[in-house]
Amino acid sequence: MARYNNPQLREKLAAEYVIGTLRGRARARFQALLRYDPGLREIVVRWEACLTPLAAAAGGIAPPARVWQAVANRIAGAASGAGARPGLAFWRGLAMTSTAFALILAAFIGVAPRPEPPMAMIAVMNDEREQPALVVSWPPMKSMRDPYVRIRVVQAHPAMAPGTAWEMWMVPGGKAAPVSMGLITTDADQTMRLKPALAARMEGAWGIAMSVEPEGGSRTGAPTGPVIFKGQCVKML
Amino acid sequence: MKDDLATRLAELLAQAALKNQRAFAELYERTAPQLFGVALRILRRRDWAEEVLQECYVSIWSHAGDYAVQKSAPLTWMTSIVRNRSLDWLRRPQREATGGEYDVAVDAWQDETPGPLEHLVASGEAAALERCLRQLEPKQRQSIMLAFFHGLSHSELAGHMKQPLGTVKTWVRRGLERLKGCLGEAA
Repeated sequence: MARYNNPQLREKLAAEYVIGTLRGRARARFQALLRYDPGLREIVVRWEACLTPLAAAAGGIAPPARVWQAVANRIAGAASGAGARPGLAFWRGLAMTSTAFALILAAFIGVAPRPEPPMAMIAVMNDEREQPALVVSWPPMKSMRDPYVRIRVVQAHPAMAPGTAWEMWMVPGGKAAPVSMGLITTDADQTMRLKPALAARMEGAWGIAMSVEPEGGSRTGAPTGPVIFKGQCVKML
Repeated sequence: MKDDLATRLAELLAQAALKNQRAFAELYERTAPQLFGVALRILRRRDWAEEVLQECYVSIWSHAGDYAVQKSAPLTWMTSIVRNRSLDWLRRPQREATGGEYDVAVDAWQDETPGPLEHLVASGEAAALERCLRQLEPKQRQSIMLAFFHGLSHSELAGHMKQPLGTVKTWVRRGLERLKGCLGEAA
C-alpha cells in the first residue's frame, strides 16, 4: 500500500480515474482505496470539478419517457411520509442481498466454535456493491457477564488510510441516533467487548454500520465520515 | 444564470432527501438530458444508457441526503455519478463499447479543431478550463477529450489515433499534468 502514498502517483491515478482511462482491475483497486482514503477523495473531487464543465458543454439528449416512468415506479415504493429527516435517508437505505446472506449464514454457523453460546442475532454487513464484507453476531446479552460481539472478516480489505479509523455503529430502530460500538481493525476476526448500557440495547438493534472516522474515532458521537459497510440485524433465537 | 440553476438544483436535492417526489421529478426534468448525453457518449448504446440513467437517478434519490456533505456543485456531483456508473458498466467483460454507428461521432474528433471548446466559450463558464485546454498540444488535448467525452480506454485511443499504446498513454499523462499546472495558476 505504501506506493499509494506517493503524492505524484495519487495525483496521476486520480486524474486518470476521473477522465476514465483507468480501467479494469486498476479502476476497481482505485475505487476500493477511495472508500478508505478521504485525502484521495478530495483529489478526485477537485479533478471532477475541473473537468465536468466539459461534459456539460457537449449538450444534452432527451431520454425517452420510459426512463422517468421506471425511476418513478422504483422510488414510489421507497418514499415515506412527511417528517422524515434528511440525515436518516441513509439509514433507511440499509439492505441486504438474500443470497449473500444465506451463503454467509451457512458458512458462519458451520464454523462457530462449539463451546460458545448460540448466537442470538447476526448482521451481514455489505459494502456498497452489496457484497458481504463483515459479519457481526452476538449471543443473548442477558446470559453474559461480559458481553461481546463477534466480528468476522469476510472480504480482504485495503489498509486504512493514515490518520483514519473504522468505527462500528449500532443502528436502533425508528428514529433513534446510531450508537458507537467502538473502533475495529478490518484485517482479522475479532471480539469486541461492549459496555453494559450498550449490551442492553443490542437486542433491539435494527442494523449495524461502519464509517470511516478520524484517528481515535468520531469526535461528535455520531458518524461523520462515509459509511462503507452496513447490514440489517436478523434474530437467530 | 448558471448559479441560479446550481442553487435550484441544490434545493431540489435537499427536497429529494426529504423524499419529496415532486421536487425529484423537477430535478430529473432539469438534468436528465445532460446526464443522458453523458451516459450515451460513453456507452454508445441507447439501451445501456437508458438502463444506467435509470440506475443513477434511483441512486441519486436514495443518496440525496449525502449530497450536503459533498464539496461539489450539484450538477458536478450528479454527472460524476453517471460517468462512474457508465465506466463501471463497461468494465463488465461482455460489454465492450463497440457501437459501429458511433465511430462517425468519434471520427469527428480526429481533426484538431476543438469542437466542444466552442461550447465552453458559448456557455460562458469554465473559461479557465477552456483556456488551459487550448494551451495543450493538439494530440494531448485530443486524447484527453476523446477519453473524457467518449469513454475511450488507452487501447481504444491508440486504435483511433493510430499510434502505439505507449505514445497515447504519454499524451494523456503529460496533458493532464499540464492541465493541472495551468488550472492551478488560474485558481
